[in-house]
Amino acid sequence: MTATDTNAPATPNRNTVRATERRELLLLVGFLVVIWAVTTALSPRFLTPANLKDILIQAAPLGFVVIGQMIVIIVRGLDLSVASIMATVAVLSTSLIDVTPVIFAVGLLLGALIGALNGYLVAYRKVTPFLATLATMIVLQGIRFAYTKGAPGGALPETFRWLATGDIFGIPVALIALAIVAFAAHWMLERSVFGRLLKLYGDSPDAAYMTGAPTRLLVVMAFVISGVMAAIAGLFLVGYVGIVDNWTGRGYELDSIAAAVIGGAALSGGKGSVPGSLLAALILVSLFNIVVILGLSIELQLVIKGTLIILAAAVYMKRSQN
Amino acid sequence: MSTLVRATRAQPVHLVVLALIAIVFALGMSTSDRFATPLNIANVQDQMVTLAIVALAQTIVILSGGIDLSYAGALSFLAVVFAALAGDSGGTLLLAMAVVIALGVGIGIVNGAITAYVGVHPLITTLGTSTILAGAALLITRQPSGSVPLFFEDLTYGRIGAVPFGMLFVIALYLLVGFMLWRTGFGTRIFAIGDNEAASAVSGLPVRRTKVAIYALSGLLCAVAAMHMTGRFGVGDPRAGVGFDLRSITPVIVGGTLLAGGKGGVLGTALAVILLALLANVLNFMNVSSFYQWIAEGVIIIAAVSFFIGKDKS
Repeated sequence: MTATDTNAPATPNRNTVRATERRELLLLVGFLVVIWAVTTALSPRFLTPANLKDILIQAAPLGFVVIGQMIVIIVRGLDLSVASIMATVAVLSTSLIDVTPVIFAVGLLLGALIGALNGYLVAYRKVTPFLATLATMIVLQGIRFAYTKGAPGGALPETFRWLATGDIFGIPVALIALAIVAFAAHWMLERSVFGRLLKLYGDSPDAAYMTGAPTRLLVVMAFVISGVMAAIAGLFLVGYVGIVDNWTGRGYELDSIAAAVIGGAALSGGKGSVPGSLLAALILVSLFNIVVILGLSIELQLVIKGTLIILAAAVYMKRSQN
Repeated sequence: MSTLVRATRAQPVHLVVLALIAIVFALGMSTSDRFATPLNIANVQDQMVTLAIVALAQTIVILSGGIDLSYAGALSFLAVVFAALAGDSGGTLLLAMAVVIALGVGIGIVNGAITAYVGVHPLITTLGTSTILAGAALLITRQPSGSVPLFFEDLTYGRIGAVPFGMLFVIALYLLVGFMLWRTGFGTRIFAIGDNEAASAVSGLPVRRTKVAIYALSGLLCAVAAMHMTGRFGVGDPRAGVGFDLRSITPVIVGGTLLAGGKGGVLGTALAVILLALLANVLNFMNVSSFYQWIAEGVIIIAAVSFFIGKDKS
């Protein structure tokens, strides 16, 4: 897939796809601007540098997870185990050692292994992604509770906490990490052969198979990426919170699916973008912050979130039918 | 025997689950003298009623090729509403029942309509409604609150010998749904849509309307589960449904119903519910913490699914 390919007959089609994606992105940006503007009008406490920084730092873990989730959704998958991976990785790797780089190395390796297991079940054992990752989720839950006997603990090293809460020239480290990962993932999806194969597989597994690409490995790789993303997110989240908990990341499996879908991914596969996913994650986290800032009942954000999920999916559905 | 097998739609997978039940039962008997007592057996049944009802609902939805993740929010919401309205007299109880059933069916119709008419994937639709309802339940009350008439509470605790009333009710529901699936046109349409939705639409089946009816039925059963659960608790817990979205799927899959739809039935789900409840009970007797029970549950899912894959290929 080189420069000549971009001038191939398929180009108009791809351009319309790109145009639609751009419109969807603008819609998300517009929505975010509107809810931010309304909140700013209602409360002076919202649009302050400190609060915006809070929102961004809080959005970072979900940002990592949704990138992985979105890539799995592109290959017609679904990863229900991400929250369980977050907690398991956080619990195991922080309890083994207190040297920050080693914690991260062990954590990422664990995430990759669990992702590979998911991918193996889906691609080689032909287990439905929903069930494979549901089973992994439950098994991991059992393993980490049994390992910690229900009560994880232990102090986190200083450098570890700094990574999640500190900043470099005023920019939070977690955000810098997310930005690097996001750019890499975006480049991979839009520019690399691997990314195009992922989308091709999502559009038509048979077509991807015909190219001679190792399609099973492709699916395994998608789950590995999701596992690694969840591992990073879990480590940043416990670093931010300061406490390792057996339920770290609870709810992220459904939030990340919601964010991916709001961000334009289709469960039927083949569709999804990094900017869309991240914007959607930012919207979800903003909603939570807004509800708190406005002094509304926290439960209200659940109602808004649910409505938003259905509305977004409905809008995309209608558009793809036209 | 073969007539019996045909009549109950028994399949090899049912025998496997049955054998596992026997093994778990034997294990329980050898673990503790208190296992095979009427009291404990009644306890096991009491503990499986809610799961049995939502798993039955999930079976119908999955047979049609869909999925319903709204139980987590719906159970909590309906439980809270039920306890808020049930009061302490027969009149208020009847009113609460009517409202909760209407709401349950309404939730199902919304799920079905968004899925069938707008075309949103049922996973997303029901995830959305579940989130909304979970929020609504907590908006109504953050703490368990409300009450049910004492005689209703007693009713949910009532037993004939070692069989709780709730269990008799569950058996009746399974028989009814089984009859509906195999002896009515509605049931045939459910299997047809689950097997091949496009073909069903082309052959003129009212696919969309049937889907709405399926989710409405699922919502109705969820309302029934919520009422029984609230009767047991005596209050409406705004977190009553947490976890039931995913938990309702395990027995359906272990019982041999394909997640893709079109194949399976209620007998498998019933046996799987019994297996899971007995397993949890026996592991408790063996002092195995619930942590290992989770591991067991996950392994059972993988084992069950792998087993069916082997069957499909042969």
